[in-house]
Parts: sequence; C-alpha cells; structure tokens
Amino acid sequence: MRLSRRGLLRAGLAGTAATALGGLASGCAVPTGSTGRNMVLWYWSGGLSDTVVKNAKARYDRSVDLDAIQIGGYYRSKLITTMAGNAHIPDIAGLKGEDMASYLPNADQFVDLRTLGADKYKSQYLSWKWDQGIADDGSMVGFPIDCGPVAHFYQYAVFRKAGLPHEPEDVSRELDTWEKFFAAGERLKKRIPGTYLLTDVNAVFENVVQQGSRRYVDKDRNFVGDREHVRNAWALAVEAKRRGIVSSIVNGTPDQISAKESGRLPSQLGASWATGDLKNEVPKTEGRWRVAQMPVRPSNNGGSFLSITKACREPERAFEIIAWLLNADNQAQGFVDAGLFPSTPASYGMKKLQEPDPFFDGQVTMDVFGPAAQKIAVAYNSPYDVALGQPIKDEIKNVGVLGKDPKQAWEDAMSKCRRIAKHLGVSY
Amino acid sequence: MATVPALEKPTMTVADAPAVQPKTGLRKYWHLYAAISPFYLLFLAFGLVPVGFSLYLSFHRWDGLGSMEWAGLSQYQYLLSDSDFWQSIGTTIVIWALATFPMIFLAMVTAVMLNSAVRYKNLYRFAYFLPNVTSVVAIAIVFGSIFSTNFGLVNALLQAVGLDQVAWLNTPWGIKVAIATLMTWQWTGYNAIIFLAGLQTIPSDLYEAARIDGAGPVQTFFRVTLPLLRPTLLFVLVVSTVTGLQSFSEPQVLLQTTANESTFSGGPDHAGRTMVLYFFQQTFDNNDFGYGAAVAWGIFLVVVLFSIINWRLLQRRGEEQ
Repeated sequence: MRLSRRGLLRAGLAGTAATALGGLASGCAVPTGSTGRNMVLWYWSGGLSDTVVKNAKARYDRSVDLDAIQIGGYYRSKLITTMAGNAHIPDIAGLKGEDMASYLPNADQFVDLRTLGADKYKSQYLSWKWDQGIADDGSMVGFPIDCGPVAHFYQYAVFRKAGLPHEPEDVSRELDTWEKFFAAGERLKKRIPGTYLLTDVNAVFENVVQQGSRRYVDKDRNFVGDREHVRNAWALAVEAKRRGIVSSIVNGTPDQISAKESGRLPSQLGASWATGDLKNEVPKTEGRWRVAQMPVRPSNNGGSFLSITKACREPERAFEIIAWLLNADNQAQGFVDAGLFPSTPASYGMKKLQEPDPFFDGQVTMDVFGPAAQKIAVAYNSPYDVALGQPIKDEIKNVGVLGKDPKQAWEDAMSKCRRIAKHLGVSY
Repeated sequence: MATVPALEKPTMTVADAPAVQPKTGLRKYWHLYAAISPFYLLFLAFGLVPVGFSLYLSFHRWDGLGSMEWAGLSQYQYLLSDSDFWQSIGTTIVIWALATFPMIFLAMVTAVMLNSAVRYKNLYRFAYFLPNVTSVVAIAIVFGSIFSTNFGLVNALLQAVGLDQVAWLNTPWGIKVAIATLMTWQWTGYNAIIFLAGLQTIPSDLYEAARIDGAGPVQTFFRVTLPLLRPTLLFVLVVSTVTGLQSFSEPQVLLQTTANESTFSGGPDHAGRTMVLYFFQQTFDNNDFGYGAAVAWGIFLVVVLFSIINWRLLQRRGEEQ
C-alpha cells in the first residue's frame, strides 16, 4: 500500500476523532457517582490507614468494588472542582478538618448521615468532634476520622538544668496557666541564655484562640474577632514578646530545626501529629523529649472526616463501609500506621496505643493525649474565619517579628477586618 | 497540494464569483482547518472558556461549591479600594525591578564572555541554561536554606567579612532581596543565551572598522555592541516583565512554613505577597472565587499596562531610526 501524505492525514484525523468520540462516550456512560457495583473513595496520602483500607476492600468485596484513590496535590480544590463539574464525583469523600467550614454551608451536596442511622454511633465518638461534622441546619456531613489534641512537648534535660519542673506530671500540674508558663520561660532564658520557650508570638496567639469556644465569626455572621477572647489572646502574645520568651527564629526553617536539636528551643505546643514531625526533623533527639498537658486547657489542631456525596447511588452501603473503616479497632490501627489520633475514646486503652515510646524515653504519650482529647471545647467554625482571622494573625506577627507597636498593629488589624467583613457580608 | 489554492485564487474574478460559488473556503479546505484544529480546540477548552468564565465569575459571589450570587460591579469596586491589592502591585514591581536589572547586566556580561569563549562553548551554554529548566520549587527550597538566618550561606559570607547576620526571611527588605536573587539566578542564563544570539548577528566588519578607528574594548562595547543589541535588550525586557509580574511559586515556596498558617500571606508585613500570590490567597484560602476572579482581571490590566509601556518603547525606537 502506498502511503500518501493525504492518506496519512485522513487516517490520523479519523483516529483522533474516534478517540475523541470514544472518550466522550465513556465519559457519558458514568456521568456521576457509581454504577452501584463500583464504590469510589477519595482520600489523601496518610488520610486513612492503608491496612484498614485494604481490609475494607477484602471485607466488602462480595457486594462492591471499593476503589480507594489517594488524590495528590491540593485536595480540596480537586474535590470541589469535580463536584462543581458534576462528573466523576466520588461516592465517599474525605474532608480535611481545616476545610470543613467551607463544606458545611453546602450540606445539600452531601448525604445527611443522620438519615442513614449515624446517631446510633454517636456515643462512641468524641462529642466535640462529632459536632464539628454537623452543618448549621443540623444535617450531618462528616463522620469523624481523627483529631489533633494539642499538648506541651519539652526536653527533659533542658528543663531540669533550668531548674524547672521536668517530670511530665509536674510540668502538667505546675505550668497550668499562661502566667506560670511565661514565668518558666523567663527562668529558662535566665538560666540558659539564648534559650527560648516558644518559637514566635503566633504560637501563643493561635493556641489561646484555639482553646476558646469562639473564633472570629459567630453563627449569625457577626464578626467577634474584636471581643474579649481574641483581645485576651492578643494581650498574652504581646506579653510573651515583652517578657522575651519567644525566639526570633522563623517557623519551619532549618534554623528552627537546628535550635530544637541543640536544645535552644526545648519546648513547643503541638498537636499529637507533631510527634511524627519531630521524629522526622530531629531524629537525633530521641529519648530527650517528654509530653505534658498544655497550659489552661487542651485545644485541637487538625483532624478530618469522611462524607457521602449526593452522587452516591448506594448511600446505605457506603455508610456501612464508613462506619466500619472508622470503628474503634480500625482507628487504633490508623494511629499505629499513619499517626491518626483516634476520635473514638475506646481506642485509647487498647494495647497498641499504650506502647511506651522510646522517642519520649519510654513515656506512654497516650496518657497525655488521651485525656486531652476528651477535654477539648467545641468552637463554631465559620466559613469566614480564615478571611477574618488572617489580618489579626498577620498583625501579631508584625508585632513579634518587626517590633511593630502593638496598639497600632491592633488598630490596623481591626480596620482591615472591618473592610473585609463589609466585603464578605459579615456584620462588624 | 499546498500550491492548489494559490493557483486557483487569482483566476477567480469578482464578477463570476457568485456564479461559481460551489465550493467556498470552509467546504473546500475543511481538512486543512481540521489539521490545525487540535490547537484551537485545546485553546478553546483550556484557554478561552476559562478566561470567559473568570470574567463571568468576577461579577458574582461564589464559594466554589454552592450557588452563585450576582454581585454586579461590587467585586471591582472593592478591588479599587483594597489597599492589600495595591500593596501587592507595589511589592511585585519592587521585586521585579530588584530581579530584572541585575539580571540583565549579568546576562549581558555572561553573553559577552560566552561569545569570546574558545573552548567548551556548548558546555558553558548548557550550564548557564540549566537553572531555567530546574523546578522553581526545588530552587526555592535550596534558596530557603541559603538565606536562613543562622546556617545560611549568605550570612556565613557576611560574617566572614565581619558583618552582622541578617534575618533575610524575616524582614521586609530581606524577603524581597531573597526572592529577587532567586529570580535573577534562574533567568540570567536563559537571557544570556538570547543575548548571545543577538551578539552573533552583529557583523564582525563593524568591530574591525571600530578597531581600525582606534576604539578600545570598552568603547567598542558601548558604541557598537550595545546599540546593535538594543532589539534583543527590549525583547529580554518584555519577556522578563511578563514573567516577573506573574511571580508566584518563588515567594510561595520560599516563605511557606510548616505551621498551619497561610502559605500565601507572604511573610512579615506581606513583604513577599505578589499580585498572583494575593489572588491565590483570596481564591483558595478565603474561598472567595468571585473576588479572586476580579483580582485576576486586575492583574491582567497591570500586565497590559506594562506591555503598552514596553510597546511604546519599541515604537519610539522605530521612529528614531
């Protein structure tokens, strides 16, 4: 056969057209959700235990093909793009805790888990965590995966050398207010010059805000970032700066890691998952760290949910799978595999969670995190919190880093918030 | 086959055109259009439609998931009064200037040196081009270490000559300088190659004539090389403007922290928050997709403005000649 240029062009075109049509056809065949047999689950790397997912596949193999996909990159943006595009929506979707506030106003895009009998599981889960998955209209969007109780990580030998309480029980008991915590910081700095209790003022500000039961915007769309609870956090952060207990190191830089390793930053307020970060960043410090309760009361940082989208054709089966994936046994496995701190208190007493951790010189960290997780206050999480919290966090950073006058910084933050609130339709 | 239309066209006169009619452009040449269609179809799907949608979006309020709400011109009104947006324009221009002028100088010096290099010419060109094809994210991570306060290379050098440490990534000017240095490093080699191409178009008899007239190397550079390199220089300036005004990954990666704070806020006093970074913050941190789209169109206008300035510069040059 003679190959002419024209013939080749035609063949190429026909091929392209066929592929395009084929793609179109297969695209139309599965517009949204599952075919019934097929059940698609979206999550991210480390979002669920791989072992548990594998077990779930085998367990439900007779009724569904559970297709669990780890979505890389910017998870939220991919999920909402798919949902807005109304095609190939997963049946079960993981929702990250920090994005929860933006999903909840769109509860109509998800199946209300109460209609599938979720309430009968409620007593097995941390109540504040359970409430975080519920939208304003009362419908339940997210089923709890994990949570992130915040505690006080510190280096035993450094605290001892500075003449501070150094046994975990003593630290928890004696550094139980911000005043005592700051005083300890002053003592630390005086006894071992060049040593700081915390990295920056934001560590104080954000933890104090997180401890409270209110953030920046309330349920009725009122700006509350100018109220007592935020002013108090601001004042404490400014005080930390004034008393010189925070370093000038930038969070997340090699400088910070080296300061942790050398003991010049022997303390941090971090969520349970910070354990994993510490082990990765400063492996040489194994055995030097301990965990105690943070001052005042524990707060939460992170933790995610599983949801069932409206596109799911078999919500009952999907719910059955979710409830199994996230039962107390499997949550314990999730902690072992991926450091996911269980939202099921029944897991805390299990043997595999009561293992002494050599990184903490044999301390059973669950003794601290477990009780902490059960004392967290639930705060209303508004979809406008990010936009209206950021100017305040930015300004307290300017106070901490650039030495900006706190009064001026507060005024600047408030005038910015006023402008943004107006733009977003939040009443100031 | 390409000659067919060219031969046929002139034979058709205006008078008999309506009578002949049968095969008009599209029907006759459909396969040619089909052959070039993939680009246009892809551009339509991934270029034109999103551009149009972003314009539509900028007249709405949308959280990315729920229903859209008509907002009229209010997003643009807010944009004009948004001091953060104006600050981000200033930041972008300062970083652009800090990066572009040293970069052009260094690129030109490099090009002149490459032009006179005798051995390993291609190796040098390859080496200088390499930073441009390296991932910005990887570069930014390395530069984050270079500019770190206690263990950074830059501060080590400063201390070696007896100067104090600078908290590069924690002061407004330090941040801008760090981002600009990164961009300079990344683009110098690329532009040096372009300058090199420009240098090689300059006829050598001009240099000979200059030498005969008694011009030294410096005089030759300023009187012969530079004027003839002007078109290349303007091209480099235009390209650097368009890329520099859209800098995003550099500050984003350089200033991101492990803490759960926004990666788009650009460090203390928003010193590194460029226009595109601000757009990302509004869109993906605040889920304010309508306003994000308006910011994107604001950025578009700024880039257009700069393009017009560049174009005017080119025009004036044309008139002079």
